[in-house]
Amino acid sequence: MRSTRNVACGKDDADMGHYSDPPLLVLASLANGPKHGHAMIEDILRMCGTRLGPGTLYGAIARLEQQGWIEPLRPEERRHPYRITADGLRVLRAKLTTLQQFTKAGLKRLEA
Amino acid sequence: MNPMLAHLLMRLYPRLWRERYGAEFEAFLQTNHGGLRASVNVVWSALYEHIFPTRRGTMEQDSHSFLSRSVRAPWAMFGVAPIILLSIAYFVACLYLWSGWRIFLPGADTPFVRIGGPIFGLANIYFQAGKFYYFGAPILVGWAIELIAARQRVKFVWLTIGLVLTAWLGSTAHIHASRTAVHRGLGHISMGFTLGSSIQSVYESIFHALTILSLTVLPYLIFRLQRARSICT
Repeated sequence: MRSTRNVACGKDDADMGHYSDPPLLVLASLANGPKHGHAMIEDILRMCGTRLGPGTLYGAIARLEQQGWIEPLRPEERRHPYRITADGLRVLRAKLTTLQQFTKAGLKRLEA
Repeated sequence: MNPMLAHLLMRLYPRLWRERYGAEFEAFLQTNHGGLRASVNVVWSALYEHIFPTRRGTMEQDSHSFLSRSVRAPWAMFGVAPIILLSIAYFVACLYLWSGWRIFLPGADTPFVRIGGPIFGLANIYFQAGKFYYFGAPILVGWAIELIAARQRVKFVWLTIGLVLTAWLGSTAHIHASRTAVHRGLGHISMGFTLGSSIQSVYESIFHALTILSLTVLPYLIFRLQRARSICT
């Protein structure tokens, strides 16, 4: 998983407090249940203050689906929801654990 | 978003991507409240998809395709292809010039006439378009080489070879025209690739080569900077 896509950030991006790895953000958004595109964008915005652009979102969706980490559900009218797969959950857990270790180590160094 | 704009933006993506996500993405864009920023984001993502396509099932690239072969034989793609492409482009340019000479300047000894001289209106537009094409051809070839290099992630050295070769050919190319060289005076057009006989013409060729190189490298540098920036954020 890589962070290669530009994101349309919110107004507060100048403070550099945002996290923008679109595939990881999409996986994290789907972790608590299936969502369609708009719901994912709003959820990610609430979660970390990053507003994904439409192209970035679908780029991440395509790559995650290709890797088998998310799968499409039956369309609801014009909306196409996705859900995270078991593999996706495993990858998300591993990624977040690594990030947590990294965050802990980084913060400890800042406090020292 | 305007349905027409949403459809146009969706059409920017590669065909295989559209077959899987096109209808869904278009519907998503139509209900999206994005303005210019969203449109730019889609254009950028479509370009990215062309360069680094999502591969899955029918979206998998054919391993025997022309592009795949370029990875196995980069010398052919970046050493020979620029010569072939530029040769074709210059042949078309010569044919275009010769046709214009016959149509608009049937009595003139040369098709290279000054603007404001004996050509006006349509003839002027015709020759200006030809000039634009002639000088733009090496830049377009350079961009095509960059696109292939970025897509296939070949070594930077091959890209450099391809671009330098293209710039060198573009800067040393000269078209010669003569009416007396051919029986019945139809007019004769030929091309040569020389640095020139005087020091000044050598400097001009080098300057021309550097200009072509700068213009071809610019989009690649912007792409790399944009990518580096998005990874850092």
